Amino acid sequence: MKLLLVLLTSLLTAGFARAEQLTLTDIAALKTNAPITQGSFQQTKQLKVLRKPLISNGEFTYDQSKGVIWKTLKPMKSLLLVNGSKLLTGQAQQAVPAAFCKVFTALLGNNIEQLQEGFEASAMGPAARWRVQLIPKDAFLKKIITKMTLLGDTELRSLEIVEASGNSTQIQFDNINHPLTLTPEQVADFERLSP
Amino acid sequence: MIGFLGLQLLKNDWLETSFLALLPTNEQQPEIESAIKQHNQLSNRKVIWLVGGVSADLAIANAKTLKQQLEDSLLFNTVTLEQSQQPYAKQYQALFPYRFQLLDASVRELLTKNPDDLLQQNLELLNSPLAQLQTAGFEQDPLLLFNRYFSGLQPIKLNLQQGMVLLADQQQQWLLLLTELKDERLQLDKLEALLTLEQTARSHLKTAGSELLVTGMPLFTAYGAQSSKQEISTVGIGSSIGIILLLWLTFHSVRPLLLSVLAISSGLFAALVIGVLVFGKIHLLTLVFGASLIGVADDYAQHLLCDSLGEQDWNPRKSLKFILPGLTLGLVNNLLSYASLSFSPFPGLQEVAVFSAVGLLVAWLTVVLVFPILLTGFKFQHVPGILKLTSFWEQHWPLWLLQNKRWLTVLMLVFVTGGLLMLHPQDDVRLLQSAPPELLQSAEKIKSLLPITRDNQFFLVTGKDETEWYQHEQALVQRLQTLQTQQNVQHFEAISQFWPNEQQQQQDYQLLEQTLLQTGGYQRYLTELGFDDKYITTALKQFAEAKSKVLSLTQWLAVADPVKQSLWLGCTAVHCQSTVSLTGIKGTAALQQLQDLPGVAWVDQVESLSSLFARYRIRASALLAAAFSLAFIGLALKFGIRNTLTIMSVPVVSLAISLAMLGWFHQLFSLFNLFALLLVLGIGVDYGLFFFMAGDRRVSTSLGVTVSALTTLLAFGLLATSRTEIVHAFGFTLTAGITTSLLCAPLVGFKRQKNDKYS
Repeated sequence: MKLLLVLLTSLLTAGFARAEQLTLTDIAALKTNAPITQGSFQQTKQLKVLRKPLISNGEFTYDQSKGVIWKTLKPMKSLLLVNGSKLLTGQAQQAVPAAFCKVFTALLGNNIEQLQEGFEASAMGPAARWRVQLIPKDAFLKKIITKMTLLGDTELRSLEIVEASGNSTQIQFDNINHPLTLTPEQVADFERLSP
Repeated sequence: MIGFLGLQLLKNDWLETSFLALLPTNEQQPEIESAIKQHNQLSNRKVIWLVGGVSADLAIANAKTLKQQLEDSLLFNTVTLEQSQQPYAKQYQALFPYRFQLLDASVRELLTKNPDDLLQQNLELLNSPLAQLQTAGFEQDPLLLFNRYFSGLQPIKLNLQQGMVLLADQQQQWLLLLTELKDERLQLDKLEALLTLEQTARSHLKTAGSELLVTGMPLFTAYGAQSSKQEISTVGIGSSIGIILLLWLTFHSVRPLLLSVLAISSGLFAALVIGVLVFGKIHLLTLVFGASLIGVADDYAQHLLCDSLGEQDWNPRKSLKFILPGLTLGLVNNLLSYASLSFSPFPGLQEVAVFSAVGLLVAWLTVVLVFPILLTGFKFQHVPGILKLTSFWEQHWPLWLLQNKRWLTVLMLVFVTGGLLMLHPQDDVRLLQSAPPELLQSAEKIKSLLPITRDNQFFLVTGKDETEWYQHEQALVQRLQTLQTQQNVQHFEAISQFWPNEQQQQQDYQLLEQTLLQTGGYQRYLTELGFDDKYITTALKQFAEAKSKVLSLTQWLAVADPVKQSLWLGCTAVHCQSTVSLTGIKGTAALQQLQDLPGVAWVDQVESLSSLFARYRIRASALLAAAFSLAFIGLALKFGIRNTLTIMSVPVVSLAISLAMLGWFHQLFSLFNLFALLLVLGIGVDYGLFFFMAGDRRVSTSLGVTVSALTTLLAFGLLATSRTEIVHAFGFTLTAGITTSLLCAPLVGFKRQKNDKYS
């Protein structure tokens, strides 16, 4: 129903507001259609109790069917492997709600349609620099995450997560490219994720 | 009077349906018994419902409808769909001040091996984009100690969506609903309501596009009760119709028919009333066995009725005088058999013993006291067709047997030996319960989706005080961890995994002190992360102040979840006890070996009940032998050894053939067959006696015995159709035994007659 409403509004607005008002459908259409996305990231975490932010950077790989490799290089080396249902770290499977994994995978895949299942989504801005705001529908998720903001053009360029605790995480994506195949190392990493 | 008393009694709740009520209370160790009781308590009233759907939204919507439906039924105390977070919040607040004393096992290990690894792991978590939950509480607990401990309290993480537990398999999403029945006694009408509810819910959900899986102890009991109830009516109605037909064909008169019904019904009614008086409740299975009593009670009636045949100046009093010794001896014999049954510790068997003994006694009394009055003037108006058959039978069959006795004896010996060789006792207690396969499949499926259901087996840990108990349990936990990595068990739960005792709490504190405080590692960690000086001073002060804190077991238990609370059995003046529960057992043998540890006992309810069955099967065999000897001695005193041997040959041969048949047909052989053999003994002796004492009334005796055997067979033959394995085995044994008795009995008098001729 909600989806229908969003679609309806987007259809209605599409005609006369196209110039400045983007819709979620427009954004989905802008997206580069490629099964694999990779690049580098810089994550800045603002924790209320800390005087300085926690900054980390590294590389990420998104594969449409396999999930995400999140490889932190600085300040320490660590590896996260995520798909729609689970999260693996260097050592073992981590207990993280499947919903988290699903959202994270969808975020990195810039898959706004999928995110609309669990979030109220609203779009803003010009096509060259669109912005999507996501607010959780689930009351329990709301207790952890207040809102998420996605920024992009043909690619997702940055992502901000504001937590209910007041902490926030900002992730900047750079050097985005779309290789046709995975490297053997990436294949091996994804291999660990498959059941 | 009995009638009035009975009506009063039966107004109350008198029918027992729970399977557990049939079983003996553990004879040796009351502690194990109470541990088992507590272990089962959580599951006794619980019914688990899983609503499936191709999408989570569909499953959620349908689960909500089901929740409403379950609530409206008013059968349940609680219907849980949305998990309440409140108890967790309370527990969090209560335990948080003890975070420096409550270390998770993983933290303890890291600190012992390399404390820097803990800090490194924290850094990874803090930098992870997905560790919101793992780093919750970081502001108050920068080492993330308590977060690890608290998350370790729930080792199996269930996926929550909108606060509801969502499980998934390859095809579907499943939503979990937990319900708890209001009434622990599981009354029959409530169980029936539960079954109806389950069925309507299933069809509702099906039209709404959802599948339903349901499991739980009450449901198993409900299905058992339903099938027993159906069987009672099948057996009851079937045998009644058969008996009425048979009696009509024999007597062509309403009076004997009504009298037979009177004898049987007064017997059954009295049995029911006295049974309820003695035990408070009668179990459904007792009724199933009891229904078959119709056949035996009928023996007495038929014997008297058939005696009227062919006598010119027959009157009931004279006839009774003649057959009374035979009837009485038969009764005494049966009562002796049942008396021996009542010594078994199985409440079920005691019930059956009392039920049957009272039933027979009253049926006998009715025949002896009431029949002569009501039968005055009764006379056979015709020669019944069946009489031709029975008299032909009575004259020619024994003759044929005697003429062919050589090869018949050989054949019988071969048959009996062969059958006995193939006879293998089976004492598995699970045979008691007949669950439909769909229910078992649902239970299996739910178990695989939701790996939190405890297995039946568990450990009982005992120590003379709390300290010793803790040591014993810790030793067990360590060994269990090894077995867990070897996949012998998926999961286990013990209090000492989560609650360190006072000594351990101090050690944990000291470990932190030595590895992170005294080295300055903690302070460095806080500074590098970017905490300000004020925060660091406070944090260090908090740590120092926590030194003397002790969390007692009582305090810990007070906020623990019900499952963990149920593990603690408490302390008495002589000992402290707990249970360690297990989930997903694969290697029972390896687990069983842990009993070598001091203060650790392996409790396997199924296995111990099965072995109890085996023990009592052996004991019941001894009882059977004793009953035989008693009957033998009793008869020998009256008739002499030679004649007694003749009479007793009927039940002995019947017993041998019954057992052999069980062997040849690969039937279940357990305690319950022996119980059937006791009946065979009683009936065999009856038939032998009736023929032995028939004298010149062999024709009417053979009619009486045949009619009564046929009615009994009608009743027991129907028991053999039961879906419950043991009831089926009972029916089968009796059918074989009574048929043999019927075939052998005419030999008794026949032989003597012949002897008389020559003497």
